[in-house]
Amino acid sequence: MTPALLGSLGVSLTLAFSLLGLTLSLLAYLQGDGRFLKGARALVPLTLFGALAAFLALEWALLTHDFSLAYVARNHSVKDPLWVTLVTPWAALEGSILLWGLLQTLYTFLASRKPLGQPQRGYLDPWRASLVLAVLFGIQVFFFGVMATIASPFETLPNPPTDGVGPNPLLQNHWMMAVHPVLMYLGFVGLSVPYAYAVAAMATRRYQTWVEETRWWTLIAWGFLTAGKVAGMWWSYEVLGWGGYWAWDPVENASFLPWLLATAFLHTAIVQQTRGAFKAWNFAFVTLAFSATVLGTFLTRSGIIQSVHAFAEGPVGPAFLGFFLLSTALGLGLLSRVSREVRDVAVFHPFSREGALLLGAFFFAGWALVVVLGTFYPLLVEAFTGAKVSVGAPFFNQVSAPIGAGILLLMGVGPLLPWRRPRREVFKNLYLLLAALVLGTLLGLLRGYTLGASLAVGLFLYNTLAVGLLFAEGMRARRLAGLSPWSFLENRRRVGSLLVHFAVALMGLGIAFSQTYRLEVEKTLYQGQAWEVAGVRMAFQGVRALDEGRRFAVEALLSTDRFGEVRPRLHFYPQMQSPLPAPRVVYTPGNDYYFLLMDFDREKGEWASLRLIVTPMVFWMWVAGVLMALGTLYILWPASRPEEAKGVSPA
Amino acid sequence: MRGKYLLGLLVILGALAYMLFGGLGRNLVYFLTPSEYLQEEARYQNRPVRLGGLVKEGTVQYDKDRLELRFVLTDGVAEVPVLHRGTPPGMFKEGQGVVVEGRFQEGLFQGTNLLVKHSEAYQAPKEGWTPEEVRKLIEEAR
Repeated sequence: MTPALLGSLGVSLTLAFSLLGLTLSLLAYLQGDGRFLKGARALVPLTLFGALAAFLALEWALLTHDFSLAYVARNHSVKDPLWVTLVTPWAALEGSILLWGLLQTLYTFLASRKPLGQPQRGYLDPWRASLVLAVLFGIQVFFFGVMATIASPFETLPNPPTDGVGPNPLLQNHWMMAVHPVLMYLGFVGLSVPYAYAVAAMATRRYQTWVEETRWWTLIAWGFLTAGKVAGMWWSYEVLGWGGYWAWDPVENASFLPWLLATAFLHTAIVQQTRGAFKAWNFAFVTLAFSATVLGTFLTRSGIIQSVHAFAEGPVGPAFLGFFLLSTALGLGLLSRVSREVRDVAVFHPFSREGALLLGAFFFAGWALVVVLGTFYPLLVEAFTGAKVSVGAPFFNQVSAPIGAGILLLMGVGPLLPWRRPRREVFKNLYLLLAALVLGTLLGLLRGYTLGASLAVGLFLYNTLAVGLLFAEGMRARRLAGLSPWSFLENRRRVGSLLVHFAVALMGLGIAFSQTYRLEVEKTLYQGQAWEVAGVRMAFQGVRALDEGRRFAVEALLSTDRFGEVRPRLHFYPQMQSPLPAPRVVYTPGNDYYFLLMDFDREKGEWASLRLIVTPMVFWMWVAGVLMALGTLYILWPASRPEEAKGVSPA
Repeated sequence: MRGKYLLGLLVILGALAYMLFGGLGRNLVYFLTPSEYLQEEARYQNRPVRLGGLVKEGTVQYDKDRLELRFVLTDGVAEVPVLHRGTPPGMFKEGQGVVVEGRFQEGLFQGTNLLVKHSEAYQAPKEGWTPEEVRKLIEEAR
């Protein structure tokens, strides 16, 4: 047994089982025969097992330096440290698809655990269960089909080299690369389950319960997508050495789309759960969110758009494009077939909870539309005029600022508004909020901030107050009901979402300030020379070279008055002609000090060019990211709830 | 009810139109070779452009104390003088394909970002570069 054999076997078996499972579950639906469904369900663990075997085979090949595999030869080197070797499966295209496929089988497995039975008692009826399985098996067929044909991770080389080049140095420069892709894939794959349920709901014309049944999945997917995005921003900031966290790169945009659409879906889904409205929107949003994950992969891997992520290009572009079109057509096609039946009959008041939720969802979806347009516009221009253009970050910033402000505004009032129509007592709170908004903005203007930054301060105060009011209200309601006010914390969904909302407001503040105020200075210093800039005094003590085996590092020794010794580095990798900067970031509550070594005297080490980037509040963005993840976790955390406090209305 | 939808649709369409004709148009960054720039100089003055070409031999001057990099960018036919503030990237050298982001101001291309384009496949042709070859080189070597 060799890794190549085991891997190919795993991929082929998973493909075969998935095809069989797809056929059986479709038969179960069409024939209405439970035996087919039983058979299909029995195949699910086998696909998980096959995918796991394939993934472990790839790890095995990497750990044993089996360079007869093309993937290992291209992305691995005997000099790689253990952690880099372990994460190399997702350092390039084929391995990433394998990881995606493995996670898909895992999610299919978890989703198929749901017991069958009468829908009234919270079980899944066999018709929908068959279709859900059929969709999930279909997705597996696609991924393992791609691996079995055009992007095999187990392709072998006739003349294996004795050592490879190792993974892209950008990826091994920071441990975050072990985390960010996995989080993203967990999020992407998580959206497949609500999508499968939605397709089943439309096909069987049972429009209501799927949203509640997949609530957990949607939140899981959203939580992972959020964590993955923030982790990616952090990586970009700490590793890429340009002092930014978001460049509106096509691939960033592509993974932003599912997040935006999933966020829209998350909010309209609440309305369907509580009021039974917005069915059509939910079907549309979940379809688009799922297909956006596929579109993202198409953009990343097809190479049609230039991107920093272009290291993982491959021949899979057309396959992913086809799959994107198919999944969109399936969802939207079914929706158009049943559109008459899912239309909202009740008229809703725009100034109500559901009105705010729908408007918020429109903002998210509109944002997604803008991002799609901006990303694809260069292709259109080239197709029509032949001119090569790119859409600059200023465009995205310009349109995103008002959309973001609108979302922050809605986020404050939305949860305070009651369902159906506004009540009088709400207005008191609204005036309070308005006062906080105005006060914060004026305060910002008085401190001499720009209008945008001042508005961000106002919006932060406004949202913090809104969260505070909702907390107070929830605790008061508990006390009036004769319960401990702290029992409000048991309303996990409410408390968790408030925490997430607060984190979003904090993130907004961080983004506004870090985008508005940023200082970037560069200077060549000679040994012993001191430089005082932006409130820091640094003296350049010299450079020092370190041989770290897989790479060669040069660090500049800077003694600073505020942060002690700081050592920004340059890393020289044998497989790259130009060095990679390894910045040193010193976070303080106000500003981040970002030290970069740009260049140095290669002969005597007497001078070095250094760059200092000072950006405010980036630290708080990472705090906000952690809070968002914690808030999501708080909602999802399995609670012992013998009976959910149904009598107490959520605010 | 119908009126509401119509209003929503109008708002969305209006926003789209604003973006497309206003925001997008102004923020398009054209990708040019020096020849293309010289054909329509006035059009590209003082707006963000990405200029691609080769660093002309013998023209590179770098002052590490003032952090000023000056060189001439060529596509074999036309030439443009470039001033870039900051350290040259590691692979920057004469004869190398580069893309500079910046603006034309006072007869000089003021670069804000310098990207080195590297390609194994391309060797300098003996009879000199043509703009088409330069464009191809830059596009393929990303």
